[in-house]
This record gives sequence, structure tokens and C-alpha cells, in this order.
Amino acid sequence: MNCKICSALFQEFLEKSLCEELISEVDSHLKKCGQCRSSMHTYSLTIVLSSRADPPCCVPAEKMDELKKILMERFCTKKTA
Amino acid sequence: MGKKREIQSDALVVRDLKKGDAKAMEEIVRRYSNKVYNLAYHLTRDSAAAEEIMQDVFLTVIAKIATLTNEAYFSTWLYRVTTNAAYGFLRKEKKFSEQTPVEDLDGEHHASVDWSELPDDVLLSEESREVLKRSIDSLPEAMRTVVIMKDMEGLKNEEIAEALGISVPAVKSRLHRGRLMLRDQLSDYFSKYTKPSGEDA
Repeated sequence: MNCKICSALFQEFLEKSLCEELISEVDSHLKKCGQCRSSMHTYSLTIVLSSRADPPCCVPAEKMDELKKILMERFCTKKTA
Repeated sequence: MGKKREIQSDALVVRDLKKGDAKAMEEIVRRYSNKVYNLAYHLTRDSAAAEEIMQDVFLTVIAKIATLTNEAYFSTWLYRVTTNAAYGFLRKEKKFSEQTPVEDLDGEHHASVDWSELPDDVLLSEESREVLKRSIDSLPEAMRTVVIMKDMEGLKNEEIAEALGISVPAVKSRLHRGRLMLRDQLSDYFSKYTKPSGEDA
């Protein structure tokens, strides 16, 4: 395994979707290649930070009430049409 | 009834919805309003637009639910409607750019600095979050959408592929390239906190 292949497999490696043979090849490459190791760490951390960059929020309560009213009106109109 | 709904699959609820069950509509809104709103918000970065899109998406559900032949695909259909509505908004606002993916990110790609050992207060600072949000917003559209759907909304590769009408390998490729670009932007930003290589700790 070389750095190019190792780098291309980061995603599958982190998702644990590689076969055992490839996992062990990536593992052993990472053990001896400091650049790939640090590359993997920062790649993995990028995913974590992205998930926290803009946390999900709830629809404002007043908008939710308004939405339900509009949808129910439309739903009932459609049913009777 | 509420408890029964809780354990019902989407497919069963959607089947009831097709029969005109108002409670099924309420349940769909309960399950998906926040997901639709957040996806729309992250794609548009506009809370008013996200509210409008969410309303349009559920009105589309009412109008078009009969055309959905496989109820098991409801969520991906909903995400496709949401994504298309968000793209429509971005086009109208002229914020949508059909940039081609960057080809030179294939292959070996090392980070210039290792910032993974930085303390949490640096990694998770308000400033670094803003840098990352700006970086996500500046990704080519095809990558941005996939990164948002996967890393921010937590959708599965298969769901993203179905919603965007692309293959799972295409999702993975866009995601990988997008993440590499974000990693590079973060490396630039965090480089001010890291020691140049060779310098003693």
C-alpha cells in the first residue's frame, strides 16, 4: 500500500466498510507513515467538526402552529374536492 | 393512537396518508418538519427561506403523495423535494453555482499541518466554527450538498444517492473531495496554532 491508495481509502476505513484484508493493509501503512497518520486524524476530525459546525435546530413554535393550520386546511380541502 | 403511530414505519403512515387520514399527515409533519427545515436551512443559510421551503415541501406532499408508488421511499422522496426546492431558491437568489468537481483532489493528499492534537477550546471555538461554515458554503455545489446531507444532517449514502439521483460511488467521491477541501481550509486556519515541523514541543 502506498500513500495515494491509503488516502483514497480514508472514507471507507472510517466507515468500517473495507474488507479485513484492506483494513489490515491500511492499518500497517498508517503505523509506518506519519504523514498519512496525521492526514487520517485531520480528515476524521474534519468530519466531527462539520457535524458540530451548525447544530440542528427546531422549527420555531409559532411557525409550526402556522404550518399545521395551513396543511390541515389544504388537506381537508383536497379530501372534499 | 399516538403510541401506535410511534412504532409504525413510515411506509404504514404514508399508506394511511394516501387514504386521506389527517392523523397520518400530522404524524409525517411531526417526524419530518425539523429534518426538512434543517436541510433547507443548511442548504440556503436563510431561516426565512427554510420556513418557506418547509411549508412548500409539505404542501407538495399533500398534492403529490398519490404519485409515490413505493411508500418505503418516502423519506428519500421528501429529501429530494426539499433539495430541489432549496436549489430553486438559490437559483432565484443567484447563489447557485454548477461548479465542476475539482479533479486534482483524487489520490494522495496529505494535510500540510497536523492540527488534530490542538485543544478542544481551539478546535471548537466560535471562530473555527465560522471558518468551517464559510468553507462549507464555498464548496462547489455538488460537494456542498453531499457534505451537508451526510456530515451535518446524518443521512446515509444510499439516501443521499436516491434523493439526488446519483450513484452511491458518486456520493462517496463528492463527499471525499469535499472533506479534503474542508480539511485544507481548516489546516490553513489552524496553522497559526501549530508549531512548524521540526520545532521542539
